[in-house]
Amino acid sequence: MLKFNKKLILSASTAAALAVLTAGCMGGSASTSNTTTEVNGKATIDGGSTYPVMNGKTGPYYVNPQVAADAPKINNGRVPTANELAAWNTDIMPDGTGLPEGSGTADEGSDIYDAKCVACHGDFGSGGGGYPSLSKGNAYDLQKTLTNNRWKDPEADGPVREFGSYWPQASTLFWYIKDGMPHPFTKSLTDDEVYSLVAYILNINEMKIDGVDVDDDYVLNREKFLKIKMPNRDGFEPNIDGPDALNDVRAYYANPTNFGAQNLKKGAVRCMTNCQKETARTIYIKNGGIKDFLPPMSDVRSLPKEKKVAVDAAAVYKNTCEMCHGNGVGPGLGAKSDWAPYLADGIDSVYKKGIHGTDGGMPAKGGSSLSDADFKTVVDYLINGK
Amino acid sequence: MDNKKSNQEIDRRDFFKKAAASVTAIAGTSLISSNARADDPAIMHHVPWGQKWGDPVTKNRYGMPSKYEHNVLRRNTKLLASGNFRASIAVTPIQESMGIITPNGLFFSRSHGGVAHVDPAEYRLMIHGLIEKPIVLTLEQLKRYPSVTRTHFIECPANGGQEWRGPQFNSVQFAKGFMSSAEWTGTYLKTILADLGVKKEALWMLAEGSDSSEMGRTIPIDKVWDDAMIVWGQNGEALRPEQGYPVRILLPGWEGNLCVKWLKRLEFSTEPWYCKEETSKYTDLKPTGKAIQHFYANEVNSTVTSPSPEIDWTSLRDGDIVEIQGLAWSGMGTITGVDLSFDGGRNYIKADLKGLVLPKSWTRWSYMHTYKKGEKLLLTSRAMDDAGYIQPTIDQEVGVMGVEAVYHRNAVETWEVTETGKINHVEIRTMKEVKDA
Repeated sequence: MLKFNKKLILSASTAAALAVLTAGCMGGSASTSNTTTEVNGKATIDGGSTYPVMNGKTGPYYVNPQVAADAPKINNGRVPTANELAAWNTDIMPDGTGLPEGSGTADEGSDIYDAKCVACHGDFGSGGGGYPSLSKGNAYDLQKTLTNNRWKDPEADGPVREFGSYWPQASTLFWYIKDGMPHPFTKSLTDDEVYSLVAYILNINEMKIDGVDVDDDYVLNREKFLKIKMPNRDGFEPNIDGPDALNDVRAYYANPTNFGAQNLKKGAVRCMTNCQKETARTIYIKNGGIKDFLPPMSDVRSLPKEKKVAVDAAAVYKNTCEMCHGNGVGPGLGAKSDWAPYLADGIDSVYKKGIHGTDGGMPAKGGSSLSDADFKTVVDYLINGK
Repeated sequence: MDNKKSNQEIDRRDFFKKAAASVTAIAGTSLISSNARADDPAIMHHVPWGQKWGDPVTKNRYGMPSKYEHNVLRRNTKLLASGNFRASIAVTPIQESMGIITPNGLFFSRSHGGVAHVDPAEYRLMIHGLIEKPIVLTLEQLKRYPSVTRTHFIECPANGGQEWRGPQFNSVQFAKGFMSSAEWTGTYLKTILADLGVKKEALWMLAEGSDSSEMGRTIPIDKVWDDAMIVWGQNGEALRPEQGYPVRILLPGWEGNLCVKWLKRLEFSTEPWYCKEETSKYTDLKPTGKAIQHFYANEVNSTVTSPSPEIDWTSLRDGDIVEIQGLAWSGMGTITGVDLSFDGGRNYIKADLKGLVLPKSWTRWSYMHTYKKGEKLLLTSRAMDDAGYIQPTIDQEVGVMGVEAVYHRNAVETWEVTETGKINHVEIRTMKEVKDA
């Protein structure tokens, strides 16, 4: 009898120890704070933990119980006027909410593009000024490249993620041009100008609206804009549209295999030995990797030798000007013929344009914070190449 | 003691020469009991700051780091220089980070139209859309809501994203420094909304900034009612301009770009907005040709910060006991453990957590190692969180995500320790299509 009891106790404690071990291996369930991955019986929206207030705390943080859902409401601020709402509520949604009336052609867009956009986005949206390209060709063909993966060969053709081939909604383009472009002078385009630029970008992406090519003379307006169907409209997951969207998102992130994650919740024990594939090898950085760190990497504590030097025009050029002037956008370094038309009005005119910036895309002082004198030194360097 | 300057070059060189000689001479005996070594001029001579007045308290009304810390800086690279550094990022020197807080001046800086400088007197926050009572708040009115203070990291989801196809940065600052951590002060968004009557059909909220790019993102209502905060404080002072002064939204654990800075407007709707930074960017293309959109949380992750390519082991001697330490973090919960491997993630042992372990926060971990001169190691850390997630191997992650994803790369990371104690960033992986990983 006694023996039997002892056995019982032993096995019970072994089971308890095993339970503790298992919990430890499950990587998380033994947490001390109140945590859950469900809210009102539904999975969390991101697949992660949440910390509901329990016993006066959320996770490790105390909360003031007077600030609860059923506490007296705090009535701050005031109701905005209709004009104030209209002034700020300028977003543009895929269903056309917020999309203004207006029109423009790709041809008109091309002129605006050459005046205000080409400096950064390159000829026909080819990029190159340190800003994104806007087209790499036919949107419908390039959409098919999205399954390309450069598993092994970095020289292989990768996926082309341009406006035409990748973006799910055209409304995004209109909205962003209206609010965020041109990058150094935003919110400066009229609605007609934006329609023209959108027509131009559709044109260089060789896109159609309702089966019709957006050619040079195509007149884009609100009605036609709302008929744009982006080639990659269905290229995204999880679903975020419609009244069931949030359930779709919750279900998506409840499944780690959807997004490349590993989760031990389902009772798996974490791997401690032989955790890499047999085929895994040590891969080294190629060709020294990326090292052009600004400023250069250093952990030196001793003070640099102090000496007052004139502005290092070559360094300023490299860090500030080269992105455009070194890429055929704006007159090039020491390129006499590039500079000739600018110098026709005299060097002071060049200085002035440089210091104050131009509508053609030159930001004031190239975006630098140099003094006028130092900036002129850099301009001289840019013109003379030395 | 004499008045010779302790930092005269000649003294130092002399000292180190003698010190080296004496170490050789007494090899095998206790270093502490040695009388043969040269005297250290840093001890033997008066130091300049020990004999002269220091600065008066009237200097530096806002304190600055020691001038000797001049290399502890945010850095950038031309690869990530779009828009003349106006649609760009400067990353945090996490190799120099201590504890789980980033000093405000070193907090990583990422903007889509440059750092805006908002006049607090002209600051307004508008909340409208599918709510019973739209409102406008001034900064003063906003700060009247009851405040909460929480420690959370903010991470750009492109942290480590340059390395899907192989290692590129031989640097922990660039390989993992697209993130920082702070103690944030603000109010829960749900506290403000309690009075405004958000309608049942509102599933989404637009957060929009007032900067030149009018940076916006769509946020699902679940997060709004959970832990979304409107913050104005960062490590005990006002937000820095780089972090959205005077007000940003903070979504604990989620992509940094969702935590919209220079916040001006919140609008509620039945449908999402398809903002530029949730379509053209911040979407993760899989080999299926489908891209993940609305990829909110930064998944469980970790790195070894010491040693690292920046902090190597070349000065260690045989038998030295050295702390291997690093950071672990998860936007999906609280760190529950970190494992450490010396063979590139083939076999692991358990490391120890240290300090405060908070939800959706940087967590420090540590392992004491006895260094063998000439040893070659592949140091890999692997973290777990209380939602059950554990960092995948590169092959596991690439097996699902392919190599074109850009964002949300959280596979384990490896430092090679060479024979001489130099540290190299390497990857342990299969360099071809990985199926059934």
